[in-house]
Parts: sequence; structure tokens; C-alpha cells
Amino acid sequence: MTHKVIKVKDNDVVGSTNDFLRNLLSSGKIQALLVPQNTPSKKVAFPVLISDPKKLHADIVAPILPASTATIVSKMTKVQPPSKPIGVVMRSCQIRALIELVKLNQASLTNIVIIGVDCPGTFPTNTYTEFPEKKTPTQFLLEAWTKKSDEAEKYFRSACRVCKDPIPTNADIILGFYGADIEKEIIVEAHSEVGKNILKELPLEDEEEGKSREKAVKELREEKAKKRAVFLKEKEGLKGIDKVSEFFDKCVNCHNCRQACPICYCKECLFDSSVFDAEAYKFLRRAEIKGLFKMPNDALLFQLGRMNHMILSCVECGLCEQACPNNIPLMDVFIPAAENAQKEFDYQPGKDTKEKIPMIVYREDEFLEVGEK
Amino acid sequence: MSEEKKDHKKEDFEPKIVGFLCNWCSYAGADLAGTSRIQYPPNVRIIRVMCSGSVDSMYILRALLEGADGVFVGGCHPGDCHYIDGNYKARRRMVLLENILGTLGLEKERVWLRWISASEGQKFADTMKEMAEAVRKLGPSPIAKHWNL
Repeated sequence: MTHKVIKVKDNDVVGSTNDFLRNLLSSGKIQALLVPQNTPSKKVAFPVLISDPKKLHADIVAPILPASTATIVSKMTKVQPPSKPIGVVMRSCQIRALIELVKLNQASLTNIVIIGVDCPGTFPTNTYTEFPEKKTPTQFLLEAWTKKSDEAEKYFRSACRVCKDPIPTNADIILGFYGADIEKEIIVEAHSEVGKNILKELPLEDEEEGKSREKAVKELREEKAKKRAVFLKEKEGLKGIDKVSEFFDKCVNCHNCRQACPICYCKECLFDSSVFDAEAYKFLRRAEIKGLFKMPNDALLFQLGRMNHMILSCVECGLCEQACPNNIPLMDVFIPAAENAQKEFDYQPGKDTKEKIPMIVYREDEFLEVGEK
Repeated sequence: MSEEKKDHKKEDFEPKIVGFLCNWCSYAGADLAGTSRIQYPPNVRIIRVMCSGSVDSMYILRALLEGADGVFVGGCHPGDCHYIDGNYKARRRMVLLENILGTLGLEKERVWLRWISASEGQKFADTMKEMAEAVRKLGPSPIAKHWNL
């Protein structure tokens, strides 16, 4: 592993990382860079595919995840991957999602250089665009970070508060904030041969003490695991049809959650298919079973069905919750379900492209008690 | 019909069970039970499917949410699948579904997977008796009275 640092000039973290990214793009090692950049209104930062270094004014700190970066990479690589390397700046949850999409044959990592960024957490899109503080969300987050205060916590999306792992894995290059004094420097690590080759030609300085990051990362992961355990404990009470039906009561079956989900890739979702088209008499017949029938119909069936289809690959990015027009706190159900289901199959989504999705493989000598008395 | 359903007492409760039986083994097993005139409770409504591996979890969920008191899935014994490995896949899917139902506290005991071969008419009848009794003990599905799903 190569440890280097970006020196932060004039306390300008975003500007200094942009200098690094511009150098990277100008080096010719990559032909373009997909990186979050504020739109001209400055109201929202979106992933932008940049080929001209002069046009790069990115904000890799911007605490917002407006759409799944993994889905964007899937769109860019599924038909034909690029012939020369493209750098993609991603948060840990999105890298995990991309690995899952590769396993599902929906994306390729050929000529994709993953630049992982330490993620402190993100705000809901609407909080970011209508940020109530005097500073910009990025300034606010950086200040909270340097002060080591948790004042940004209250703005974070619930998925981010209980994030499994904010540190990128499976990245070629990692831009690390944890363990660094970000007023002075940002850690740059190469985690692959590709990453090493790229970094060796960039003007970076050697890191003075290499151990501080490892310690900070370990502490962060422990802290996150504790928060997650508390969260899981809290949500244990959400059991039984009374509570489950109440939880999903506001669902209008709009399928926005599925649209936002990086894992739900199906071109034609079963729940959009003609399976759910029916003649009037069938609706009436269903009303007659219970005497009455809530419309739009089959909302809970959609939620539970979708959960069955994607939960083993759920990377807990929380984009489903962010997409919900009626603010159903979906993570309250999806995180415990993902935790239990993934444990059952001893499966960690986003860990390794060589692993197979549990639902497409089997062993003859497993789950022997299932199907027998 | 709905009034009747609302008022039923536990003792005279007749469970409604939806059974997905694979064409090659369990359905033939049920057929053998019939042609052999073996008696079994009429609580199961059989739906023939080509393979237990073709039973998407959505079918089972749909039956449960519509108010079925139990759902039965029957497949060939492991190693005997007509399509080589459909039942192994069905087994994994059932493990996942039961796990999710467990997380949400939705009575996974109401969902059964059993291996019944074409020659096991008696086993089919016995299994149906066993399941009808087990579901009767559980009582009517609490999902059945929820119309706001």
C-alpha cells in the first residue's frame, strides 16, 4: 500500500482535492472523471462526467447522494466498457453496490478506476438544497469535522447514521479524511496496481506517520458497529402484521424506492408487469374476500416482494428511503432484514466480485432440516 | 362469506391452505393419494406448478396477504428434481423467505416446504393431515382481517 498525502493549502480542503483531481485528469492516465460537482445553482451536487480539467470544480466532500453512483457506472459500462480508464469518485456504499451490479452482470470494472472517498455521511437531498445553517453544507460538515463535534449528525440520513462501513473497500485509490488533520493534509492510498501506477506520477508528498489512519479507521468502525447494534435493538419491536401494515400504511405503490435502489436493476420489474393487470371482476372478487379492499392495491406485497428479491445484496445506502414521497422510514425495516438475511447466508454484499449471489448457487448438503420434518 | 369468516370460532375453524405442488413429484404424489383413495383433509387448495424452483416468494406472500392460513410448497426429494436443481434453489428461497418473515414477525410457521415423491401418496396425505392440524392450532391468520395491505 502506498501512503501519500495531499497538502491542504489555505485550509481549503475542497480546493486542494480539486487540484489533485485536476492533476490526475491532466496526467492522461484517465480520460475522464465522474465526480460530484455542484450544479450552477449551487443547490445540489451531482455526479458529473468531466473530460476537461479546466471545467473541474468538484466537491468530493458535499454531503449528498442524489442518485446511485453505482447505477450511473452500470449505465456507462453495461453495453460496452470504456476503452481507456475512467476515474469514478464513489462513497463506500456505492462501491459495494457496484460490486453487486458486477456480480449481476449489470456493470463492468474494465477500465474503471474506483476512487473511494471516506464518507462522514450525507444529508437528504432536500436538506442539502434548503440547508438551514448560514454556511454551505460542505463548510458546515468540514467545520464539524475539524472540531470533532457531532452537530452534523442531526442532518444525516438515517442510513448514514448507522452506516455499516464508511471506509471504501475495493477501491483502487482511497482519499482518506479519517486519521488525517484535514486542515493540513488528506491521505491518499493506492490499493491496487492500477492505483499505484496512477499515483506514482502525481505530485504528492509522502505521509509522515502512517499509523494514525489505521487507528482512526478501527475506532470509527467500532463506533459505527455500536450505533448499529443500538439501532437494531430499537427496531426489534417492529414485528407482527399490525405493526408491519401500519409501517407501510402510507405506501402508494409508486415504486420510487425501487427506481432509486442501485440493486433493483430489472428492466421490467415483476411488479410493473401485466401480472398485476386484472379485469374488474377480479378486483371485486378480492374485495369480497375481506369485504373491502385498499387501493392502490398490493402495496405491501410489492414491499415484501421487492425485499425478497434484493435484500441479500442490500448495501444499506438508504436511497429507497430518500426517494419515498411519503417519508416512510424504510431503513427501519430494511436494515434489520438485510442484517438477518445476510447473516443466514453468511454473505457480505460488496465484498468481492468473485463471490456469487446466494440465490443463484446452492450446495447439496446445506439447510438439510428445511423440507424435512 | 366475509361475515361468516369474521365470526368463526377457533374450534370450528377450517384452515385455508394454498398448496404449490411440483408437476413431476408432489402433484403426482397427490394424484396417487387420490387414485389410491387415501383420505386426507380437504383444507388444501392445490395449484400445480412445473417445479418448486419456479415458486417465486411473491406467490407465497400473495397467498398469505390475501388471507391464506397456510401455504404449502411441495417438491421432489433433493437430488431427484426433474430440472436437476430446481428444488435446491427452492430450498434456498424458502430459507430466505422464512428469514424475512421471521424478522417481520409474520408467522413463518404457516409456510411449509416438504419433499414428496410421485410414489408417496401416503406421505402426501399424512403431510396434509399434519399441516391442517398444525395450522388449526395456530388459528386463523391474523393477516386475514387486515384489509389495508
